Amino acid sequence: MTCPHCAEPIAAGDAFCEACGTDLGALAGTAPATAPAVAGAAHDDPITAPSPAPEQPRTHLLQPGGGSGVDTSLPCAACGAEVADDGFCTVCGQRARTRREHWTETHERAGAPAIGAVCDKGISHARNEDAMATALTATGLAVVVVCDGVTTAPDSDRASLAASASARDVLAAAPASTGAFAARLSAWEPVLAASCRAANAEAVAIARTLGDPPEPPSCTFVAAVVDDDLIAIAWCGDSRAYWLPDGDASVGAGDNGEQLTLDHSLGTEMIRNGMSREQAEADPTCHTITRWLGADSVDATPEFRALRVERAGWLLVCSDGMWNYASGPGDLAALVAQAVVDGADTPTAIAESLAAFANAQGGHDNITVALVRCEPPGSGTPPTTT
Amino acid sequence: MAEFRAEVFQNEYLSDGATDVHGVVSVTCSGAGVAGQASGTEAAEIIIVDTSGSMDMPPAKIAAARRAAKVAIEEIVDGTWFAVLSGHTVAQMVYPPHPGLAKMTDVTRRDAVEAVGRLRSGGATAIGAWIAAATELFQQAPAAQRHAILLTDGKIEGEPDGALEAALVNARGKFQCDCRGIGSDWVVEELRTIATALLGTVDIVAEPADLEADFEEMMRNAMSRGVADARLRVWAPQGSEVLFVRQVAPQVDDLTARATRISPLVVEFPTGAWSDESRDYHVAVRVPPAPVGNERLAARVEMVIDDQVVAKGLVKAIWSVDTNLTTRIDPAVAHYTGQAQLADVIQRGLAAKASGDERTATVLLGEAAKLAHDSGNEDTTRLLNKVVEVVDVEAGTVRLKQQVAKSDEMALDTRSTKTTRIRREP
Repeated sequence: MTCPHCAEPIAAGDAFCEACGTDLGALAGTAPATAPAVAGAAHDDPITAPSPAPEQPRTHLLQPGGGSGVDTSLPCAACGAEVADDGFCTVCGQRARTRREHWTETHERAGAPAIGAVCDKGISHARNEDAMATALTATGLAVVVVCDGVTTAPDSDRASLAASASARDVLAAAPASTGAFAARLSAWEPVLAASCRAANAEAVAIARTLGDPPEPPSCTFVAAVVDDDLIAIAWCGDSRAYWLPDGDASVGAGDNGEQLTLDHSLGTEMIRNGMSREQAEADPTCHTITRWLGADSVDATPEFRALRVERAGWLLVCSDGMWNYASGPGDLAALVAQAVVDGADTPTAIAESLAAFANAQGGHDNITVALVRCEPPGSGTPPTTT
Repeated sequence: MAEFRAEVFQNEYLSDGATDVHGVVSVTCSGAGVAGQASGTEAAEIIIVDTSGSMDMPPAKIAAARRAAKVAIEEIVDGTWFAVLSGHTVAQMVYPPHPGLAKMTDVTRRDAVEAVGRLRSGGATAIGAWIAAATELFQQAPAAQRHAILLTDGKIEGEPDGALEAALVNARGKFQCDCRGIGSDWVVEELRTIATALLGTVDIVAEPADLEADFEEMMRNAMSRGVADARLRVWAPQGSEVLFVRQVAPQVDDLTARATRISPLVVEFPTGAWSDESRDYHVAVRVPPAPVGNERLAARVEMVIDDQVVAKGLVKAIWSVDTNLTTRIDPAVAHYTGQAQLADVIQRGLAAKASGDERTATVLLGEAAKLAHDSGNEDTTRLLNKVVEVVDVEAGTVRLKQQVAKSDEMALDTRSTKTTRIRREP
């Protein structure tokens, strides 16, 4: 028997595919098991959970890239040589990354915000527990969701993938907002809250299907929508959103950058109690989160933040695997500017450049970087020309 | 159609900065068929029987050789090219009567059996000349899968030094040769040199009465090797060093020095013909260290037939800080490391004993007794017990026996390379 999703071997009676995590029980009970996954329109890999047909249960739509889903057409990430059919480099032997370990999502359409995002395993961690889901709707609404699976809880990689996808779907399906800024702002808050609930429900559902393990899979949550000149954010945990407006040439890039989220973590408590940001981030308990999604969550209530975009810039949504190496908005803006100088000419290329930077610093955690290019009407120059 | 399967046993986890990767690749062939019977293939067999003067002392030896050659001929399947050589000061045709190979039929089989019945002894032992003669005869069947059986009872004395080495240089890669020593007046090292160079086995047949059964089995094995020639191909990453490639089952054979470089990262080793059987290879590679969390391939180990890869095993390296993972030693790697060491200490122990260094011999053979016991190698334990008296097997303490039959020492020496397979968990 093989998994209908990724074709890895499975045993009769298996509840899940060991390779890709597909819920075999749910598959067996529903639509044709061999139905191809719906690929995200502009994604380089069909990795993210596709938008579900309404009557189908959610959990069976998990598609974390597949166990051996290695794209052997790409050059080796370590040395650039060819990758053999066996999934390893022909020269240095480096194992090629699976789609769950590294993928990008790109949405670019004239007249709409451009989205480029990368989710990467990093170097030290054995698996990629980060996940992301993005969308650019027909009405030009940009949606980005990032979830960082909690490493100490097994199967958090599945929770993060399912959670991010379901939140993305809720946000992308929201009715087009109309009216004044304040009206749109107040309309988004309940939708963001609903997306967070949907994400949490996914994480909890996975714990259920695993038989409620003592360490249930769990993850952080940050969702952002870019609705014309409005950026609305909801978050739970320590994944972050930053606003990085284009800098004046005279004063350098990112001088006005801003961190839009405030971590739900012990580190935040420390800073609140008077510790410096550097001191707090050096403390090993800094990353201990105080809110998260999952069956054992004590508080899965999101916090909200909104921003009116008045000049062109970047919305950056990321996991701690990125901000660990550049936590200040100025640092991140400088990395974005440097990526552009180095020839990154798309949001995805810039996001890849930031992830590569984090890996070059050690890649001690999974890295997710999602960028949305925001250019409100009359805000000026196109973004990425140097 | 023969099928090959490769299975890898290893602990792929390396600690931070570690470089040496060990893996045991177990290669199994099934559906091999019969030598020379697949369409477009041929097989050729030469039986070389020592007929030097000593074969008459006692006369039971030459009589046993006649019977053994007869049963071997009877095992050769129809259609196989074959010849029988009588080896003394020179190699002489027994069958066919004139230099060449005959095709096995009912008629040639009957004539060959009749011819070996007339074997008489006389003359010296010139194994180099016999190998050279067989090499020349095999040239008449250049496309065939070629195999010889060599029987001798004595050490080389009828030809100049270096004749055997010269003959082997010429014969290497042209045929495989299984060697048997009858009695105890032959030299293990000489036959081992031949068997190693010509991808064959070596063994002692101490009792002439046992020769017939041994020849029958040897030729039956040869005929069951339906895969004419397979090669072991090893890829290792840029900047790495292949420390060794060692066959470890059914017997230890260090292949490292026999590597042929195919490309900058790839070497090949001849493995000869295959029947339905399983052989294990221990591959050790020193790789450049990669950061913790990285997974790299340390070796691609492939079986290759006619340049087609028929089986592949991947030996991997994953760098980790988890000492629970990195300190574990794979049972197969540990077992075969011990088996290779066992063969080594036996051979060195016997060499020390032969040179009169009883102290070193006692230490080494004591080590051997412990290794054999610990790994459950009962055959070797039995052979060792004929040469030493075990005082404390756990400590590896032994005493050399004072009265040891020479053939028992030779049996221990020749069979020291035979390994037991690891008891694998189901």
